[in-house]
Amino acid sequence: MEKSGSIDSLGSKRSSSRHPSVDSLSSSSTSRSDRSAQAKPPSGMSSDSVATSAELSPELRVKSKTAAKQVLRDSDKEEPQLLPNETVQDMAQDVTYFCPFIGALRGTVTVTNYRLFFKCMDREPAFVLDLPLGVVSRVEKIGSASSRGDVSYGLVCKDIRNLRFAHKQMEDTLRKSIFEVLVKFAFPVSNGLPIFAFEYGQVFPENGWKVYDAVSEYKRQGIPNESWRITKVNDHYEVCDTYPSTLAVPVNIPDEELKRVAAFRAKGRVPVLSWIHPESQATVTRCSQPMVGVNGKRSKEDEKYLQAIMDANAQSHKLFIFDARPSVNAAANKMKGGGFESEDAYQNAELVFLDIHNIHVMRESLRKLKDVVYPNIEDSHWLSNLESTHWLEHIKLIMAGALRIADKVESGKTSVVVHCSDGWDRTAQLTSLAMLMLDGYYRTIRGFEVLLEKEWLSFGHRFQLRVGHGDKNHTDADRSPVFIQFIDCVWQLTRQFPAAFEFNEYFLVTILDHLYSCLFGTFLCNSEQQRLKEEVPKRTVSLWAYVNSQLEEFTNPLYVNYSNHVLFPVVSLRHLELWVGYYIRWNPRMRPQEPVHQRYKELLAKRAELQKRVDELQREVTNRSASSSSERAGSPTRSITPVQTFV
Amino acid sequence: MLTGSKTTFKVRQMLPDIKERMLSQSGVNARSRDVFGLRCLPGECVLQRAVMVRKKLTAREGRGWVSGTLFCTHFRVAFVPQDSPKADDNADPVLLGDHDVALASIEKVVVVGPNRTKLVTPNSSLKFTPEELVLYCRDLRVVCFLFDRLTPDAQVIEITYTIAKTYQPPKPGSVLSFQNAALGSVEMKQFLSNRHRNTHMNWYESASDWEQELERCGATGWRVSSVNDRFEMSTSLPRSIVVPQKVLDTELKKSFAHFNEGRIPRWCWRHPRGSDLMRMSSFQNNIYHEKDDIRNLEMILFGCHSSLCVVVELGEELPSPADIQLAHSRLRALCLGDISTSMSVPDDKWLSTLESTHWLDYTRSCLRKASEVACLLRGGHLTVALQEADDRDMACVVSSLVQVMCDPHCRTQQGFQSLVQKEWVMAGHRFYSRINYHRDNDKEEAPVFLLFLDCVWQLLSQYPSRFQLTDDFLLALHDSIHLPLFSSFLANCQRERCKRSQNIGQSYTPVNGWRDVLHPDSSSDPSDPPLPSVWDWSLQYSKHRRDRFTQPVPPIPPLQPLLNGNLNTNPDAHRLTDTIPGSVFLLSRGTFSCPANLLPWRSGTSGVYKKSHRRAPSSENVPGLERLLKAWALAEFPQGLTSTSAPQGPLDPFEPLLPLLMGPCMGLWRECYLRGALHAQAFSHPISANHPHPVERLAREVQQLKDKLAQVSTSTAIKPASMMAEPRRTDTNLNQNTNNGTFLFPASRPQSATIATAAPPPTSTNHQTSKGAPPASAPPSRPGHKDNGGSNKHTFLFGHSSVAEARPDQRYYPAPNNAKLPKSNGSSISS
Repeated sequence: MEKSGSIDSLGSKRSSSRHPSVDSLSSSSTSRSDRSAQAKPPSGMSSDSVATSAELSPELRVKSKTAAKQVLRDSDKEEPQLLPNETVQDMAQDVTYFCPFIGALRGTVTVTNYRLFFKCMDREPAFVLDLPLGVVSRVEKIGSASSRGDVSYGLVCKDIRNLRFAHKQMEDTLRKSIFEVLVKFAFPVSNGLPIFAFEYGQVFPENGWKVYDAVSEYKRQGIPNESWRITKVNDHYEVCDTYPSTLAVPVNIPDEELKRVAAFRAKGRVPVLSWIHPESQATVTRCSQPMVGVNGKRSKEDEKYLQAIMDANAQSHKLFIFDARPSVNAAANKMKGGGFESEDAYQNAELVFLDIHNIHVMRESLRKLKDVVYPNIEDSHWLSNLESTHWLEHIKLIMAGALRIADKVESGKTSVVVHCSDGWDRTAQLTSLAMLMLDGYYRTIRGFEVLLEKEWLSFGHRFQLRVGHGDKNHTDADRSPVFIQFIDCVWQLTRQFPAAFEFNEYFLVTILDHLYSCLFGTFLCNSEQQRLKEEVPKRTVSLWAYVNSQLEEFTNPLYVNYSNHVLFPVVSLRHLELWVGYYIRWNPRMRPQEPVHQRYKELLAKRAELQKRVDELQREVTNRSASSSSERAGSPTRSITPVQTFV
Repeated sequence: MLTGSKTTFKVRQMLPDIKERMLSQSGVNARSRDVFGLRCLPGECVLQRAVMVRKKLTAREGRGWVSGTLFCTHFRVAFVPQDSPKADDNADPVLLGDHDVALASIEKVVVVGPNRTKLVTPNSSLKFTPEELVLYCRDLRVVCFLFDRLTPDAQVIEITYTIAKTYQPPKPGSVLSFQNAALGSVEMKQFLSNRHRNTHMNWYESASDWEQELERCGATGWRVSSVNDRFEMSTSLPRSIVVPQKVLDTELKKSFAHFNEGRIPRWCWRHPRGSDLMRMSSFQNNIYHEKDDIRNLEMILFGCHSSLCVVVELGEELPSPADIQLAHSRLRALCLGDISTSMSVPDDKWLSTLESTHWLDYTRSCLRKASEVACLLRGGHLTVALQEADDRDMACVVSSLVQVMCDPHCRTQQGFQSLVQKEWVMAGHRFYSRINYHRDNDKEEAPVFLLFLDCVWQLLSQYPSRFQLTDDFLLALHDSIHLPLFSSFLANCQRERCKRSQNIGQSYTPVNGWRDVLHPDSSSDPSDPPLPSVWDWSLQYSKHRRDRFTQPVPPIPPLQPLLNGNLNTNPDAHRLTDTIPGSVFLLSRGTFSCPANLLPWRSGTSGVYKKSHRRAPSSENVPGLERLLKAWALAEFPQGLTSTSAPQGPLDPFEPLLPLLMGPCMGLWRECYLRGALHAQAFSHPISANHPHPVERLAREVQQLKDKLAQVSTSTAIKPASMMAEPRRTDTNLNQNTNNGTFLFPASRPQSATIATAAPPPTSTNHQTSKGAPPASAPPSRPGHKDNGGSNKHTFLFGHSSVAEARPDQRYYPAPNNAKLPKSNGSSISS
């Protein structure tokens, strides 16, 4: 990350005043984001390191003199502030880092079992690059026989940037280049080493693994009730090894029948409840594709099962099946034994295809996007270049699909079944987005954590495979930015409904950063079963422990609890935007001057102050006029209410 | 004064069988009120009415719909929501209600029936009963009315026909008849002629106005010349121009001939670091330069900096008016979509189509040019002269953008209005031709001013907290352009404006040095009503909408700049003045040069020019100048910053706001261009979390609380904590007094009006109470407020309505003390 370690936010006092500027909702977030990747993790880790890490803020603001001195003192060290159990593996002097924005910089590289740390002392203030090794997707040696005897290495990163380093050819041929050391720790899985999350020994006040408990989440939704029950049939992951142990199913389907349904659904992923409408009892259920095959196989049990889902909702005599795929792809799946529900077999069911493309198309789209935004942006063709990546179009299709689901459930009071092929990529995107639109609980910070734990982690989105933690096989066709797309969609929602979410943009960026960093165990492994087998909850720290220990960092000051409001976003491309604060955050030229976030906080503080004052005065007035007959229309103190002003 | 105020004309209750036509023919001398709640302007007739109509609300208005009654008059299509409170008959007339559309701003009328849409023209006949009526407006709004099953079919068809017949494609006659419909009545004329003009902004009409500006900027060495008082020197220049002090009028007169249209270099603004911004038209080349002429020309051009002048040529890198027109019409077509032709750009081509309009490119180029000029000016002690062929289009854009970037005053509402008055209205931007109200001059049409507004919006969206005005204000200005009612826009220069007012037999009658109002003169030609200025916002917008023109909390002081590689953070320490006097450079495409023919009289052909100027080795200065422009490259940390300056405390408020200009940073002004877009309404849902924008709402809430605080504190007579409102509290109270006492215009719209009617009684009791209870503590300094309760409704004088925004301090960010918000939605706050 490019930053001139400069940093005004040194002292804790100063940094707190500066913070708001950084974790802005929207525009000013670019700067903030860098911090999250590198500087932030430590700050949560040991209380005494907070000040030091804060100074790694990427903000390039001109600092005041005193601050400058302090930086000098603190930045004399060439080594990074180490995390608990982080050990330095190698160091090298005189390494050149080719920053695409600043130019070549010469400095020292330190590689630990967690990060790459580059520091250039030539500049005032020192330039620091602090990169968790988890974000490295590939290390390649470029032009080994350069004229000056330099060896140059390129690091392709998963977070939309590439880094290039060079150093002198080793005199001693036996000595490994520091980048070969780096490869070992960047891809621990391939090298038989443990992922750093298993070594990281930080203790947080809260155990993040307790954030989500399936039973209590179902209970929050009112399950079990007269038509839905909780089953333990998958307690040992025998029915479906990618599902969680706790499932909610229709009451009148016994476990035995459930197993027969599982046989008809790909990977045994039977339709199970994701969300139930608190009033209409319309439900969102998720599953994988039916194993129809070329012969059009049918399953009485599956048909009965979907009928039971429909019957569980008395409001509607119809059931919508949303197949996330384009119909062509769905049909092509028949060749592989899969397919889609025929409307003949499923009475009263209507099948809708949502035209969302598969993981390979998405991967390609993000690759193109990276080409367009990093490192240089062509101003005059920016929009058409952006269009040619189709990234926003894919975002739109996902959001449009989720919107249709939410609309059917909310306005149509109809239950829906959502699936794609395996029901762990597009299905997770759709159900979780729809639930975010439908249920205000998921728009809180803790609610969002629950949503991710439930719809993504417990239902087996294959994070290990899609991200490729610690795996050097960067060409693996199973890698895909499915989860990034989902977070992008959430960001789009926060843009359209800025007051509806308790978390801010920094929260979303932090989640994405730690998707790769391998500092926390949250996104490791492919399924609940695997996570238990690896004892991830016992041996690692959850990201939510870190997040919940400093909620104020991630809180949206404008949040209003509209818990009963359903969000229907506008999904036209005209109203979607590229998430500049994530995709183009490395470009220092994109950093805006205005700390919007700070302004929000100022306004909130001012409001609280004034409100308090008004209350005091009003009380006083009431007291004084108590004797007289004139009754004041005492105004109840309001917080912001969702004003519906017809102008 | 006016009889109409009390004699409310009662319209007979319509019997259903009475054939519509005479719905509410208002008396000639009476304000009328339709039974369904429409407050007509004097002389306005309701031609047709439809009940049980629903109006679709945009996202900004809260989405969903509101039901009410639809009217068509000679002047507008009006819509009155069902539950809107009874408007106060004594209030000042407002031309347009919040839901109204002026006929003149309608571009197209489309009806939607079952499975079909149809463009309605005056001659078309309907073969179906419309379910929806869509009005496409020239200001990019799309107003959509839904007819219920309960709406009588006859009414639906009638009103559609009436609208289609009454609205007319603009042409000279229709504009005039529209103006007459709006302003033609005797009362309206009388009312307008009694309006006080806003004294908190500078109108730049008289020499003293310019002197005031010179003083504000601290510009010495300049004087106001009235050499063009009778428009003899230049027809398009204003009466007063600012020229160097050392140039005499006689010398000045000779220089006009050397410039296109006689638009000689004139002073616009001085940067606090001492540089001056000037503008001029191109040189007349085929003219013989006498020795004396040259001396004068140089003196005028160099202003009071004899050493260094940079000529910024605006022709090359900026779009031409024709480019702007093309881009805007493409943008329009793209953003509006069109249900009548169902030609809408598919979503997946949206981005590239938007790019191909080039609108954002043009915005960027204007902003870039203005940023360059702003950086130059910051260098100090030089003259920057903007040169454009006719100095009436892009020079307006760039000079005013520079001032918006550099001068915080220009980011307040009043300051911005003054700026537009200075650099556009008085400087002779050809509004009349560029807007092409009469649709008779398509060649000249170009929305240059709208491009400027877009640029300002870009700045506003990148520096939201550095502006006191809001995007609501920009939007209001944007929309007003399309209404052919305002003197500001209905002429090409001051001369035309003056001619017009002379034509209708008016003369300027200075009263208190400010009023040039047109005296009511019954003999004046009725076909030519006096036109108000666009800055008289209360004519167009209700109080609570005007309150949104400014941010309720003052802009935050500038922060330490974030070194993102875009900024030129360090003005060069070297004085550029050590150079040989008389250096002239041309800034073009970001580089400086001194071509031989830059100043025609120096180019040698005229032969007279010799002297020391000749040997000016001008290239010496170029690096210095270029340093001024150069953004801080990320590679080098500006040494000066840490070691020398590192300013503690508040930074220079005149640091220019330099916008980010990279592709992803140029935004589309969605609230303006996409507000009518139908797809945006497709998923409209009555419950939307984002109305109004939370920041605005927050800001407004703060203001409400402050008001509340002011109210509560006056009644308890306790000094509030030293809020920012403290120094201005007196004003607030005065203002309040104006409102309750002589306020002629309690906002007639839903919420505020409830308060307006509901609030006074408790207020008065309240005051009495508080006065009674702690009599000693009542501060004697606020007597005006105290007798408020009693004087609640006693004066209704026309001409007393100086409700104009009272801003005590107009130089820097005055906290808006005028914001009497619609006291929220509860009546709770009132007392």
